Amino acid sequence: MHRRQKPSAPEHKRDLAAHGGALSTSHNDTRSFFNFSQLVLSAGHLKSPPVLKHSKITYFEVEILDMQSKKQICIVDKVRYRAQSLPAAATRFKHQLWRSGRWWCLVVHVTPRGYAHWYGSLIVPPSSTLLDVKHKFHKACPQWYPSRVGLQLERNGPYLKDSINIQSLAVSSIITLYFTDLGQQVGWTTFFLTEYTGPLLIYLLFYIRLSTIYDQVESTKNFRHPVVHLACFCHCLHYIRHLLETLFVHKFSGGHTPLKNMIKGCAFYWGFTSWIAYYINHPRYTPPSFGHRQVSFAALAFLMCEAGNHFINVTLAHQNHSGSKACFPSPTYNPFTWLFLLVSCPNYTYEVGSWISFTVMTQTLPVGIFAFLMVIQMSLWAQKKHKLYLKRFYPEGKFHVARAEPSVEGRQGQGHTTTRISSCFKVKGKESTCSMSHQMQLG
Amino acid sequence: MAASGSGGGSSRADNGYGSQQPRRRKGPGALATAYLVIYNVVMTAGWLVIAVGLVRAYLAKGSYHSLYYSIEKPLKFFQTGALLEILHCAFGIVPSSVVLTAFQVMSRVFLTWAVTHSVKEVQTEDSVLLFVVAWTITEIIRYSFYTFSLLNHLPYLIKWARYTLFIILYPMGVSGELLTIYAALPFVRQSGLYSISLPNKYNFSFDYYTFLILVMISYIPIFPQLYFHMLHQRRKVLSHTEEHKKSE
Repeated sequence: MHRRQKPSAPEHKRDLAAHGGALSTSHNDTRSFFNFSQLVLSAGHLKSPPVLKHSKITYFEVEILDMQSKKQICIVDKVRYRAQSLPAAATRFKHQLWRSGRWWCLVVHVTPRGYAHWYGSLIVPPSSTLLDVKHKFHKACPQWYPSRVGLQLERNGPYLKDSINIQSLAVSSIITLYFTDLGQQVGWTTFFLTEYTGPLLIYLLFYIRLSTIYDQVESTKNFRHPVVHLACFCHCLHYIRHLLETLFVHKFSGGHTPLKNMIKGCAFYWGFTSWIAYYINHPRYTPPSFGHRQVSFAALAFLMCEAGNHFINVTLAHQNHSGSKACFPSPTYNPFTWLFLLVSCPNYTYEVGSWISFTVMTQTLPVGIFAFLMVIQMSLWAQKKHKLYLKRFYPEGKFHVARAEPSVEGRQGQGHTTTRISSCFKVKGKESTCSMSHQMQLG
Repeated sequence: MAASGSGGGSSRADNGYGSQQPRRRKGPGALATAYLVIYNVVMTAGWLVIAVGLVRAYLAKGSYHSLYYSIEKPLKFFQTGALLEILHCAFGIVPSSVVLTAFQVMSRVFLTWAVTHSVKEVQTEDSVLLFVVAWTITEIIRYSFYTFSLLNHLPYLIKWARYTLFIILYPMGVSGELLTIYAALPFVRQSGLYSISLPNKYNFSFDYYTFLILVMISYIPIFPQLYFHMLHQRRKVLSHTEEHKKSE
């Protein structure tokens, strides 16, 4: 009594509109059967989502269409069709898809019990999340790996998170998800390693005074002021520390970022490093006006900021690691972490401090311009982070931190860091602990 | 980049005058509209003054060489006045991107002050006349377009002129600009204008000559993009108007 539709080659090549049309006629035929099967099913003990009142949903069906060619782009899952359950809404959505233009649609079709046999359909159990859908999609179409796929409920809506349950999206028997290609993605570790190795090597190239960059005669003639050597040491220390922290301290929760961001970030850092290194290592470099006092004071400040930055990162990573609580980091016995009392993310403050002291140490205008740009960028990131903190930890208000200066625990990578936060908050007189661990995404 | 003012303006036209995207926010209030109308009328009048000045000077002199001197002051004044447009975008009374507008206005102001005004020897060049004429015609049409749009009585002729004449005026303006910069190069090198060299206290150097060359090179990627963007806008706006007319 069950109606079967076997997959056949000509059927695969058939246009979906015809397919939809064929189904609608068959729908009429089996309407009576459908109602009967509904009756049978409703007597069963299958789970039904709270949204749909009348049908029992066992599987969700996801269909992937390519809008421009109006053909199904890949076979995601092919399952035998057992119960006719295609509501009229399905054909309506199909027609909508044709008119959508250049959008690709993932049509999630909710079927009551049994499988819907469609060419290019994806079946996932109702308890699955969006990530499972993406994985299934990836298995069938290998070029779309999950981090590259962006799914939206509406055309220009926000991207849905991977953890969303498919069931919660179902408002009818068909869920239409819009699929966008987020572009080539890179992991965070790769991103930061590339971004920080570049400046390290570039500066050293300038330091050794390659013959193509500087005039050879001048280079050999001139005496190099000790501040040049010190600047090289400090610069390398800064980036080596960043690299080591990326490798050993920070914990990236597997997030990704588009390749474009990496190109932009690398261009910024590498470009500025070349510009800075050119002037500092130039044969005609002029040492700072106030001599050794200026250099030593600035070098000391630089080292302190570096140490502070390091300790902040370690503290945060440690807190993330030890507890599963997500609270604002608290200052510890380490004096460098006392900056938590003043600012919400001392990480950025220390970074800015390093660059400003480097500027003072070398007395070079391009470094000053770079430091200025870093200040702007870090302030923006820190403000966003601060707002995020307020929203998460203090929805009512009552934030005891004096001002939202640049700061963030974890990474300052263009606002897309994912690190687990877990630390305890101390509010004046009240201690609140939030016992959830979550991934924070900046920006 | 000279006539790219129309490029930036067209994006404003699309957003503010509703030809393609849905309005994302309410238009400017009554006071802002009044101010903008006054601003656009003043700018139209200013560029008309420049146009009239050019014609009169041509008729008086009998040749088209060295006409720059007759319109030097109004040109500087009204081109610099275009800086206010950046503020308009920043305050939100004009629905356009601040960065884009800033970029376009700054390129114009750069050419007016940092090249034509600073390097006196190029002021007698014919290329200066080329871009001044292109700018004048473009700006008169553009500002009158905005004026009429703000008053909601846009004659089709002005819209057509704005989206069609750029096809000739934009390349004309760009060629004038490039030739002017090219003519200024030897004088910049000779006099070391706006250049700092090492060694100095702040360890900084800037070579204006190289900078001008980089500016010239930057025209290569930017000009085609803006030009085709304008062509695209033209197709959209003018075909939309035709459809609207047909439906009436």
